[in-house]
Amino acid sequence: MTEQKKNFEETLKKLEEASARLKSDNISLEDAISSYEEGIRYYRECSDILEKANQKIETLTE
Amino acid sequence: MALKPVRVSQLNSYIKRILQTDPILGNVSVIGEISNLKFHGSGHVYFSLKDENSKVSCFLPADKFAVLACELEEGLEVTASGYIYLYERGGSYSLNIRDIQVSGQGNLAAEFQKLKVKLEKEGLFDTEHKKAIPAFPRKVAVVTSETGAAVRDIVKTIKRKNSFTDILIYPVLVQGPGAAGEISAAIEDLNLHHGDVDIIIAGRGGGSMEELWAFNEEIVARSIYESEIPVISAVGHETDFTIADFVADLRAETPTAAAERAVPDTFLIRETLETINKEMKRNLKMIVEDRRKRLELLDPEAFGRDIRSRIIMDHMRLDNTAQKMGEQLRTKIRDYRHRLDIIRESLEACNPDNILEKGYSVVTDEAGVIVKDAGALRENELVSIRAFTGTAQARITITRRD
Repeated sequence: MTEQKKNFEETLKKLEEASARLKSDNISLEDAISSYEEGIRYYRECSDILEKANQKIETLTE
Repeated sequence: MALKPVRVSQLNSYIKRILQTDPILGNVSVIGEISNLKFHGSGHVYFSLKDENSKVSCFLPADKFAVLACELEEGLEVTASGYIYLYERGGSYSLNIRDIQVSGQGNLAAEFQKLKVKLEKEGLFDTEHKKAIPAFPRKVAVVTSETGAAVRDIVKTIKRKNSFTDILIYPVLVQGPGAAGEISAAIEDLNLHHGDVDIIIAGRGGGSMEELWAFNEEIVARSIYESEIPVISAVGHETDFTIADFVADLRAETPTAAAERAVPDTFLIRETLETINKEMKRNLKMIVEDRRKRLELLDPEAFGRDIRSRIIMDHMRLDNTAQKMGEQLRTKIRDYRHRLDIIRESLEACNPDNILEKGYSVVTDEAGVIVKDAGALRENELVSIRAFTGTAQARITITRRD
């Protein structure tokens, strides 16, 4: 759980970085393809975390 | 039975000794209303305390005034503690004050001020101790009454904005004698036994100052300060400020606002994810397309085509230039011819034959010089006459000067 919650913010950041790399003018084709693949992987991870999150609302009882 | 007469100063000195050795008057608390309040330039404060029937002069030294937890004002009911002091020179006495408490209604406000000053001095409110509120909390704990409006508002707001973050409701009393202890214990328990909680929201809905009081208690302030988990305070309405608000990592104006601040908008995040996804696809496509175009330019066949078309273009340009030059030459020749015609015409206009044709003749002397002054000719001198056609010789018979 702790692992996962840390991951979301970091994964989203990495996704944004990969996307930013794809926007740069002088990226090589190889870097573009690997950045894209990386980005898509992070995108799926983020989506998964969001989709699989099953919001729980509980009340603590003694 | 009277003593022998004494001097005034002896009397005052005697009274002073009596007053200032009295154990009760040496440490007395007096309830009364402030009047005649004067803030002296030296920093000392002078006023009277009065009730329906009586009043007493009071003196509050500058150093005591500086650390006072409450604001003094005309008509305020206070309990002033200090000792009685007699000014021998004027024969009057006053209450020299060590501390002042606001009594009655103002008591809570005074306590609030006092605790606020104390904790502020200790550094509990310092911004360097404030923890950042995590942007993507997995779990938010809500320390509040299970039945209050606050918990309803918080759950509703989080659910509307976010489908990701879990909510743990930690029920506590939020008013009454046990409330502060329960709130404080809940915050400690969450820190000790609920490591998966990322943010604590502690608060309650609006109420009177007395009803909100638990959030002004030192024990609550200390638990919030000690909490490893970031705490958002959410007490009452926008205008309510509690000690908990000052010590919390983030003060929210209301429980709803606290929920807003605690969780990210997952619907917005989903949209962002989709946007990034589309953007990446589009960018990769553009890059591939760009490289394909650049590759095409390097294709030898395309290169040859390119050269051939350039040669044709150059030929065309050459032809064009040659044609233009020919035209320019022709224009120049026309121009010269025209200028020649003009010169010839003006030359013709000056041809002396034209004048002779009209009947004039030219006379030249023996030396062949054209005669312009007939008076200068000598008698018997031979001159030649040239008419339009033919010439003749003549001898001068008479000359005359005009």
